[in-house]
Amino acid sequence: MGSSIRKAIELILSADPELLNILSTTAKVCLTSSILALVLGVPIGILLGAERFPGRKVLLVLNRTLIGMPPVVCGLLFYMLFSGVGPFRHLHWLFTVKLMILAQVVLITPIIVGVMETFVADTAPALRETTRGLGFGRLKEYRLLMNECLYSIFSAYLLSFARAIAEVGAVAMVGGAIAWKTNVMTTAIMMYTNRGSFTLGIALGLILLTLSLLVNIVLSVMQGRLSR
Amino acid sequence: MKTTAFTKTYNKRVVLNLPELELPKGQITAVIGPNGSGKSTFAKILAGIERADDRRPVLSGVSVGYLPQKSFPFRMSTEKNILQNGNDPACASALMKALGIEALAGQSAKKLSGGETARMALCRILMRRYALLILDEPTAAMDMESTLAAEECIRRYCDETGCGVLLITHSISQAKRLADQIIVLHEGKLIEQGDTERVLASPREEQTRRFLEFFGV
Repeated sequence: MGSSIRKAIELILSADPELLNILSTTAKVCLTSSILALVLGVPIGILLGAERFPGRKVLLVLNRTLIGMPPVVCGLLFYMLFSGVGPFRHLHWLFTVKLMILAQVVLITPIIVGVMETFVADTAPALRETTRGLGFGRLKEYRLLMNECLYSIFSAYLLSFARAIAEVGAVAMVGGAIAWKTNVMTTAIMMYTNRGSFTLGIALGLILLTLSLLVNIVLSVMQGRLSR
Repeated sequence: MKTTAFTKTYNKRVVLNLPELELPKGQITAVIGPNGSGKSTFAKILAGIERADDRRPVLSGVSVGYLPQKSFPFRMSTEKNILQNGNDPACASALMKALGIEALAGQSAKKLSGGETARMALCRILMRRYALLILDEPTAAMDMESTLAAEECIRRYCDETGCGVLLITHSISQAKRLADQIIVLHEGKLIEQGDTERVLASPREEQTRRFLEFFGV
């Protein structure tokens, strides 16, 4: 175990080409999917939190269900849609980074929607009573609401990025964990562990843990600022 | 300014049933009454925050400003909060000075105490000229000194702008100091309306008399 960890650290320090490729694929998939999820999730979350309209409660239940959706179910769904018998087979997206990003967007957008909805539903009534009392229009009301949401948006993004980087089921199914093409950190750890090659797995595990630690430190700092 | 007669029902219970009311310009009208008499609901319906049962506005064609009991401090400095309601730094500065919060101008409004937030909120609403200004217990969180300063600001605003002020208050002494006329609500109904001196000195209704006696008037 000790020698495996020493070798893993040496691998990280030597900038191993395969390790760098896995890291760059992971960064591409996770950054793109989390940014897309943020762009989609923030307005939907704010709308669900701030407005009251028919069907809102159904959408909230649907979103909470999607938050708990097992990643393998999401992977299976996209596999069926894009495989040789699926309606989108002509796109040839199966086992590509594009489909991995799409699957992750579907998995993490509900998290962002949930975080934003909870924060806005708590904040909007008091803010709205004040802004309407002052005679502000809807545009100014939403501008001020967005200003209140700033730290929540940041927290939601970090949470969704953490989920994306730790996710394995969906990306393994739709990406196929192809070396030098669609292999990300989590799928690579599984692959190398199955082969009995622990060094690269431990190296990737160390990087994942470090990233998770960094995300949590940033989240704690932001939450501290938000609570003030 | 005249409000239309309206009713407000919550869960099949009529919580407000009010006739037409005259709210004179350039005067302060205090609304008093026990808890649950409908004072805050009345204020919210007048301000358009809530709707009466027929969903029509009770006051139309009139600009109304409304200060809720707990005003929301926006995530920015105290001064920027106040300037959200009018781009006149000199006016904002004068109001902050009058209410004793000029030293807090650059501080985050989220860090203000309850009394300081109430003073900031009063400064903010007084930045703009409304035809009717509704203040829902604006000094409830303030100490005596701040309350007197706030009352002076409200009186000056009313005199200088000529707008009508509707003051929801639990304090009979505040109504006595500040109001030109008083409206008494009880269980969602208007039971008395008249000049402050007359209502406090010789109330016509038994319920008003009992309510005032409780406060030692």
